[in-house]
Amino acid sequence: MRNLLAYTIVALLLSGTTAWTQEHISPERKQAIDSLALEKVRDLSKYISLIGDKETPFSEATRVIDRAVELFMEGSEVGVSSLYRPEISYFPVKQYLERLMRLNYSRVEIEWYKIEYVSDLEPQPDGTFVGVITIFQRFSGYDQEGGLVYQDVTKKDITVYVKRKETQIAGRLIGFWDVMLGDIRVKETTPR
Amino acid sequence: MIRHTWTCSLLLLFCFPIPAQNIHISDLDGDESMLYAQTKQVNQFFRRFNGEENQHGERYHTGDSLYRDIQLRLGYLPMLFDQQNPNIEKDDIKNFIAKLTDPVQTAFLDFHGQDWFAELPATFLTYRKRENLILFLCLEQERLGYKWSITNVYYERFLKLYYKGEAEMVMKTFLHPMSHELDFMNIRKVFQNPDYVEYYACKSFHPDFISLLTYEVKQGNMKFEGSGDPKFHFFQIPGWYFEVSFVNRPGYNTGWLITKLIRITEEERRELINFYQP
Repeated sequence: MRNLLAYTIVALLLSGTTAWTQEHISPERKQAIDSLALEKVRDLSKYISLIGDKETPFSEATRVIDRAVELFMEGSEVGVSSLYRPEISYFPVKQYLERLMRLNYSRVEIEWYKIEYVSDLEPQPDGTFVGVITIFQRFSGYDQEGGLVYQDVTKKDITVYVKRKETQIAGRLIGFWDVMLGDIRVKETTPR
Repeated sequence: MIRHTWTCSLLLLFCFPIPAQNIHISDLDGDESMLYAQTKQVNQFFRRFNGEENQHGERYHTGDSLYRDIQLRLGYLPMLFDQQNPNIEKDDIKNFIAKLTDPVQTAFLDFHGQDWFAELPATFLTYRKRENLILFLCLEQERLGYKWSITNVYYERFLKLYYKGEAEMVMKTFLHPMSHELDFMNIRKVFQNPDYVEYYACKSFHPDFISLLTYEVKQGNMKFEGSGDPKFHFFQIPGWYFEVSFVNRPGYNTGWLITKLIRITEEERRELINFYQP
């Protein structure tokens, strides 16, 4: 995973040296950015599975929460609604993950659907590009007897911020695209 | 009816057989194929509407041979309607799609184009009482990009304050044309009865509900509590208005779909747009 990330960053660095403006991202570059963004979203999915897993020791789970929070822009929130409570409840990312860790089930299963939908990237007024990646998660909570006591399927719309940055390598200024995650909208769906 | 739904579902499955990561349809279980068929984002609604993505969910760009292809659109467009909505006339759908795919004058949606609005229900704690209102927003260009901005507020509390006077009284609410000679001593009358104060404003005056909302929020009299599910109103296709909302139910015809379709005249279009953005 780390190799893939490094590869993607290098690919972005290389592509970043050609002439282009911040106002336009070519389809090829968009694909490279999508890969990096998807990689972060997949990292987040893995972290969420680990945090939710009751087998994960507390110290490991808290370490994973810190890693997960590092994927996000500061101040990012998770907005949650359910079929029976359509109003959105807001949680800071860290708090959301801590709640997930403390859920009162004996066993938890978190599965991710194979679907990942990536939107276009749109420039916001400060020039940073913003997009949304949609993924779906199935959550199952079991009691001590192994009985399924809760299950839901949620749609997660994850904000992705893409910003042009520069770094100095061997005295040369090299441009690259930095990808950070932002607010997440979590909405319960009815797939069956 | 059931057979019709199944036919549509099968059609959808064939329309969208493989998700973005080169997974075969046989890899998808029931839930996944439904979620796959779902129009998951408003962005995807635009792409499917315009014929700008393939069956894999991958974007077509200008220059790609199938970019905005009419046959591709003819496949997507019927699926973008809420097929369980009895209020959408079948003939209207047929005529609308014919208009969109007319080879002489094809019509598309433009994300950055004007004339589409978001409608967002919101709850505020108003003078310690929970009350609902509706915010309308539009996409606006600013500096290096775009942003959503509030264009209007629909709130009963504000609405009932303005222009609800009795006709007979309204006829008498004016400052006579020689008031200036009296140093406007009669201005006192304007503020005597709060129910009629707005009738003394100039003819071009329209209450600005955004100002009222922001004022009350600044004063601490209104506090945002929460928001609900948005809807979108489109006026970009000449002769038509349609509404897009998120249909959350089991099946293949779900996600962001057209839930209202109405043929409108140019005058009606202007009036409606004026409601969303006075």
